[in-house]
Amino acid sequence: MDEIFQLFSNHGPAFWQALLLTWKLTIASFVPGFLLGIVVAVLRLLPLPPLRFALSAYVETFRNIPSVALLIFIVFALPDLNVLIDYELAVILTLMLVCSAFTADYLRAGINTVDSGQIEAALSLGMRPMQVVVAIVLPQALRAVVQPMTSLIIALMLSTSLASQVPLQGRELTALVSKIATDSAAGIAAFAVAAAMYVLSGLLIAWVGAAVEKKVRILR
Amino acid sequence: MSRSLEDILFVAPSPRAQTITRTVSAIAAVVLFLLVLGVLFRFHSAGQLEAPFWKFFAWPTTWTFLVKGMLGTLASAAMAAVIALTFGLVLLLGRLSRQRLVRWPSIALIEFLRGTPTLLLIYVCFLVLPSAGIKLSTYWMLTLPIGLSTAAIVAEVYRAGVFAVPRGQADAARSLGMSEAQVFFFVVFPQALRYIVPALVAQLVIVVKDTTFGYVVTYGELMQNAKVLVANYNSLVPVYLAVAVLYCLVNYAISRVSKRFAAPVH
Repeated sequence: MDEIFQLFSNHGPAFWQALLLTWKLTIASFVPGFLLGIVVAVLRLLPLPPLRFALSAYVETFRNIPSVALLIFIVFALPDLNVLIDYELAVILTLMLVCSAFTADYLRAGINTVDSGQIEAALSLGMRPMQVVVAIVLPQALRAVVQPMTSLIIALMLSTSLASQVPLQGRELTALVSKIATDSAAGIAAFAVAAAMYVLSGLLIAWVGAAVEKKVRILR
Repeated sequence: MSRSLEDILFVAPSPRAQTITRTVSAIAAVVLFLLVLGVLFRFHSAGQLEAPFWKFFAWPTTWTFLVKGMLGTLASAAMAAVIALTFGLVLLLGRLSRQRLVRWPSIALIEFLRGTPTLLLIYVCFLVLPSAGIKLSTYWMLTLPIGLSTAAIVAEVYRAGVFAVPRGQADAARSLGMSEAQVFFFVVFPQALRYIVPALVAQLVIVVKDTTFGYVVTYGELMQNAKVLVANYNSLVPVYLAVAVLYCLVNYAISRVSKRFAAPVH
């Protein structure tokens, strides 16, 4: 207990800033990643073989590549191609790409939960295919994927720890802890505090997700 | 339902719609092709297409080194998977226990392992344990944290499977006079496993991806060996591209295999 008090008197503000940066990275990568994922999922429905092929390749690539490898490529290899990206933006871009691929994949499963009869009915009412997607398929698919999306945000929040692999200006939780552990011997308290912050953030996200799920669930 | 949603949405288009689709398809193909050309041009103008950056891929030593890295990745991933599957079962049994003294610590442990980033656990093994006098080899510094954090997730996956087994199965087994352990291990758990094969395989893909952190502890897996190659030939882009392709191929293969196993349960 003493160790933790001492830790907070030495590094208290740093921990709060690290937690805020972790949250910021999570939100900054989830929101655009989610929107991009929806766009990819919808475009994948179009009857255009080249586009479908390219988007499938996109989803499979970013679903299967380790995020660290992607981050290292963006940060260290792209400058060789004369593409320079700010460290923080590189982290956000990495997580956003991964998030969009998983979102597109989950949405596809969500789209498949929509009963085909509904689509036939809508088409027979004279709705155009894209109208059907936007007005009937997508709203139901989005409601069906609240739970996997919640898990995805938590996974994304934990993945922000890979920001510790690049020299970011501010330190997020993992980077802060590894710095404290290298500087002083009293590492275990720092790990405990960071772990607690991660776990509590995860529980918070899960709680919000469950509340949303309860509200929008479709009873069949 | 045999027809996919895409087929129903765009069923029997009129000749006019067919022409439009074909034209747009062609335009999309051209645009994508131009995109690839643009990337290649970028490589060219940055001088990354020049022979010195690529020629070492023709040497067998490069590939043996990369394959060695791949084997290191698989060795770590396989052990981490074994730890996850067995320790996950222990955690599940703890979580399902009727004894509060067993159940609550199990829940706490699951939430802790599941809720902290694997990288943070790797740093614990890498930075904190040595100062406490516990020295692990680089292999275990990487494999143990991955195995443990995956075990917690696997425990939750198991639990979902166990709850998916119809209650009547356990009731029937009990009425035959089986002990609780027999009911679980001979009747409930084997059936639960069949429900969760896809989720377990998805977890295996994540394990393979997590071993990328091997370079943090300098364990010789694919990413670490790639770093060595980069240092030797000063050729970042080609090496990392090759490694990215290797990871994608392995993980894609794993998820494809899972689709085979994911046959209907009933």
